Amino acid sequence: MTKKFLFSIIFALTASAASAQVGAPYIHDPSTLAECDGKYYTFGTGGGGLISDDGGYTWHGGAERPGGGAAPDVLKIGDRYLVAYSATGGGLGGGHYGKILTMWNKTLDPKSPDFKFTVAKEVAASDGVEDCDAIDAGLLYVKEQNRLFVSYGTYFGNIRIIELDPETAARKSGAKPVDVAIDCEATDLLYVDGWYYLLGTHGTCCDGVNSTYNIVVGRSKDIYGPYLDNNGRDMKQGGGKMVVATYQKSVGAGHFGRFVVDDGVEVMSCHFEADFERSGRSVLSILPLTWKDGWPKAGKKVTGGVYTILSARRGYALELATDFVRIAQDRQMWWRINPDDPVKELPLQQLSDVESSWPKASAPARLSDFMLRPNQYWKIEPVEGKGGYLGNPYFKITINGTSRALAASTGMDVIVADTFTGDDTQLWRIEQCTDGTYRLMPKRVPGIPGLNTKYVLYSIADSTPILKEWDSTSDNAKWELER
Amino acid sequence: MKRLLLFSALLPAVLCAQNPIIRDMYAADPTARVFGGKVYLFPSHDIVQPSPLPQGMRENWFCMEDYHVYSSENLTEWTDHGVILTQKDVPWGKPDGYSMWAPDCVERGGKYYFYFPDVVKEGMGFGIGVAVADKPEGPYTVVKSNIKGISGIDPCVLQASDGNAYIFWGAGRCARLKENMTELADDTPTEKVRWGDREFEMSGYNCLKDLPNRQAEGPFAFEHNGNYYLTYPYVRRNTEVLGYAMSKNPTGPYEYKGLIMAEHADSCWTNHHSIINYKGQWYLFYHHNDFSPDDDKRRSPRIERLYFNPDGTIREVHPTMRGVGINDAVSVINVDRYNTASQDVTTGFVDTADRFRGWYAGLGRKGSYIIYKDVDFKNVKPNAYAIANVRANKNTKFTVREKSAKGKVIAEFTVTVVTEGQFRRDYSGQWLAVTAPLKYVPNGVTDLCITADADAVDIDNIEFKNRIEYFQPAAATPSTPDSDGFIRRWTVAEPIYLDINTNILFTDSYLDKTLGDPQVQSLLKTVPADRQKSKYGSQTLVWHKIESNFYNVKLFRFTEHYGKKIYGVIFPAVTVIECDDEIRDVRLMAGSNSASKWYLDGDEILTMSGDRRMVRDDCASKSVTLKKGTNVLSGLVINGPGMSDFCVRFIDNDGHPVKNFKIK
Repeated sequence: MTKKFLFSIIFALTASAASAQVGAPYIHDPSTLAECDGKYYTFGTGGGGLISDDGGYTWHGGAERPGGGAAPDVLKIGDRYLVAYSATGGGLGGGHYGKILTMWNKTLDPKSPDFKFTVAKEVAASDGVEDCDAIDAGLLYVKEQNRLFVSYGTYFGNIRIIELDPETAARKSGAKPVDVAIDCEATDLLYVDGWYYLLGTHGTCCDGVNSTYNIVVGRSKDIYGPYLDNNGRDMKQGGGKMVVATYQKSVGAGHFGRFVVDDGVEVMSCHFEADFERSGRSVLSILPLTWKDGWPKAGKKVTGGVYTILSARRGYALELATDFVRIAQDRQMWWRINPDDPVKELPLQQLSDVESSWPKASAPARLSDFMLRPNQYWKIEPVEGKGGYLGNPYFKITINGTSRALAASTGMDVIVADTFTGDDTQLWRIEQCTDGTYRLMPKRVPGIPGLNTKYVLYSIADSTPILKEWDSTSDNAKWELER
Repeated sequence: MKRLLLFSALLPAVLCAQNPIIRDMYAADPTARVFGGKVYLFPSHDIVQPSPLPQGMRENWFCMEDYHVYSSENLTEWTDHGVILTQKDVPWGKPDGYSMWAPDCVERGGKYYFYFPDVVKEGMGFGIGVAVADKPEGPYTVVKSNIKGISGIDPCVLQASDGNAYIFWGAGRCARLKENMTELADDTPTEKVRWGDREFEMSGYNCLKDLPNRQAEGPFAFEHNGNYYLTYPYVRRNTEVLGYAMSKNPTGPYEYKGLIMAEHADSCWTNHHSIINYKGQWYLFYHHNDFSPDDDKRRSPRIERLYFNPDGTIREVHPTMRGVGINDAVSVINVDRYNTASQDVTTGFVDTADRFRGWYAGLGRKGSYIIYKDVDFKNVKPNAYAIANVRANKNTKFTVREKSAKGKVIAEFTVTVVTEGQFRRDYSGQWLAVTAPLKYVPNGVTDLCITADADAVDIDNIEFKNRIEYFQPAAATPSTPDSDGFIRRWTVAEPIYLDINTNILFTDSYLDKTLGDPQVQSLLKTVPADRQKSKYGSQTLVWHKIESNFYNVKLFRFTEHYGKKIYGVIFPAVTVIECDDEIRDVRLMAGSNSASKWYLDGDEILTMSGDRRMVRDDCASKSVTLKKGTNVLSGLVINGPGMSDFCVRFIDNDGHPVKNFKIK
């Protein structure tokens, strides 16, 4: 027990640079993330799965799924969780006789008295001879149409889609499977803005740091395809646009899952076949999911470093409100400049040049022209032991070189506190939005009890940041982070 | 919306070649009628009682709230046209009576009249109502009030050769209908009937008066060869039999003739039936609680053939599991509904929690057999295979033969539930799909005999599946590129065997060494003829000249077809391109699973290294010229594990496929 605990601390310490999740996130073929009573769950190949009880940052074993088999998926429909998984039954010695099964549970928490899976129902199968290997289920529920689909298959022939009954998750009466892709495995389906997306995993798995697994996507206006890539190439002819292959120091991305955090904020889950920072183990990773021109792509998680924080509204830089200090310069009249005179580099204003003139106490945060000034450089650092959210830990955001911390204040104000105390009002959730910008959300807002999941850093005027409800349609709520 | 409608209109028929014929819900009292050359089935619809029970409903009692209609043209494929009437649609009925019992439907003057019983909203007991439609599958419009003068259940309308329509109901009462089909004739007699210490006024004639009639119900009357038949369930001893009486007049007097069907062998209390002639054969539709053995109020319709004696009497019909439908061999055949079997054969539910998944036949020991009649092999091609869903506790074998246990062998199945060795697997007691190649394909309709050849095996179903034809022998005449420019004609050699178990090792230098090996290269030196043999080490490779039926040449299926190794292989392939004129500045575009090298007239023009999957236009060659006359294009595709295939075409400078050449 102690040993396990130590382990997680070690991983926690190395977390800021890790491309994958912390804790013990060892898994292959993680299902789409599912939330249940404040915890997050994902299930993997072989039975069992991972749980996160700190909002989606730290993961450990403990999820339970009967049936074994390969590459499950899970999604919530109404107040029930639907799990699809696959069993390889008779195809002994590398055969391709597979079955897709579905089952329901009222909860995913194995400790809940309600935790009981229904009897699994077979919804699709392959006979070992045909061009299909019925494993690796990916579920899609289209709420607007109350229709449920499952995609399945591997490199052995075709990826198929079949419609299920959303009430029972049995095969819809009369439904026949349709071939939609070749040379994929671990597929998933999405329905976004009138498009169906088929995500498949190409490449080779299970060869550690040499695994070439990668996630590609095609899209169609019809659930049954054709799913075309950005080149117009059908996934039945091997088409596919890259979503993610390698991220930081992890290679071999496989088994995509999408999770919508908020309007305009999404994450994707996958495993990397090998994390170079963790002995080349297969790990769960949660990455921002961005959308550009109708195509999904893995985004960039914030890691530690020195940044300028620029408003998407006007492009002004977030700064500590203090006097603008002029930089002395030998001015030359432009009409007297000899173009042949040599040039030299001018020094930037240093923190030590100006810090003594800054107010000692906490001061307001403000937005101004970005002028390369010390009060405009922010050090963003992960804070361990304070929990997190899907993908990342909370961050502290301080004026670089100082302990003056960006903080949520009373009256929905944003201030730069005189020192970092570790209080929740000084901890920030930083997430990449689907358009590539970022949103910054304090963990707690003074005067509002509990965890803040609503109020974000917001440009109420070009020069004035406050806290306001997240609005994915407004640039006022979005920020560019530049190193 | 349009799409949705189309979809529902195209709901596929469900195959129910055996008894019972409805397999996704309970249904009872099957009234069959022939309209426009099709059989329409109007059963009542048993459901599980709602919980809690509606006020006044008896526990463990019949419960029916609506009607479906089904149709079939072959008594095997049944289409459910959905709900045509629910209890809420009946203005005179109790909206929560759950008593939509046995119905009937007849056609007169181009209209379809659907007769049904329901409990009346005001007063006591049952009434009989009518709903009218222009088509048998509806939509139906309910007549506002029930038929005046009838108190009872189980309507049946006989359209006699005298031009009149007669309605029968309850315990064999009968009356003539007016031409509007919704009212009794004005001259319908009435009589006082005593029931216990109460007296009722009843309309019509009591056709079963003085005949065996204990608890009689469900009359079904029809006319055949100048005789009128009144057939009906009644209780002979403890449960219902189907009996019948004959008369020269629709309204009697009738003379009792005997049984059509004896009591059910188990305790299913009711039976209820109809009789039709369809395409020259007489059929009896009846019901039994097949899916609900512990509750005989949830029943399922069945069919048997029915025969008359020369004197017009009816031969007794014996219930079977097999029923009357003919199975297309290329579909799931539930052989557990066999005709005959050895004595030790048992049947049980595949899934006791979901009985609608059907039964299995348990062949208990070596020599056990079942015979299943009437399977049509007309759609089975010589390349087909058989697949069976089976369960066993030990590794075993079983054989499918034609007609009898000594008949010609169609397929021999091996059931491996336990494999020993490094990765021990144990699937004992689990349902498994097992496949077997066909040794013989019978002609047309025949019977199957399945025998256990070793330990016990439970068989749920078997099915014959045609393989996809991935390629065919090339024709003598030249072919051309397909519409996308892909070259589908190739002479491919059976593969060279290699010991490789990963595709990640296919580096450029590995390919140069392995595929560039002089012995491998020598295979591409000449254009091989179909069936020509080449030597590679100790291997003899046979070349096959094929035309792919797909844009990609499925090498995996090619080697499988010829019974050669599928993984750890190199495939040599050659084709001849004949150009009328020189074609300059074109590139070979290729995709292959896995790595490959490509040569034009012996010059290497493309190497596709690494762990490749089949992707259209994955790699392009340098610019090349196809010369006037003959050009030889050849390739070597190497694969470890995976389904080998390739696709190859030429594109011009504008990216368009090159198609102006012939392929010899």
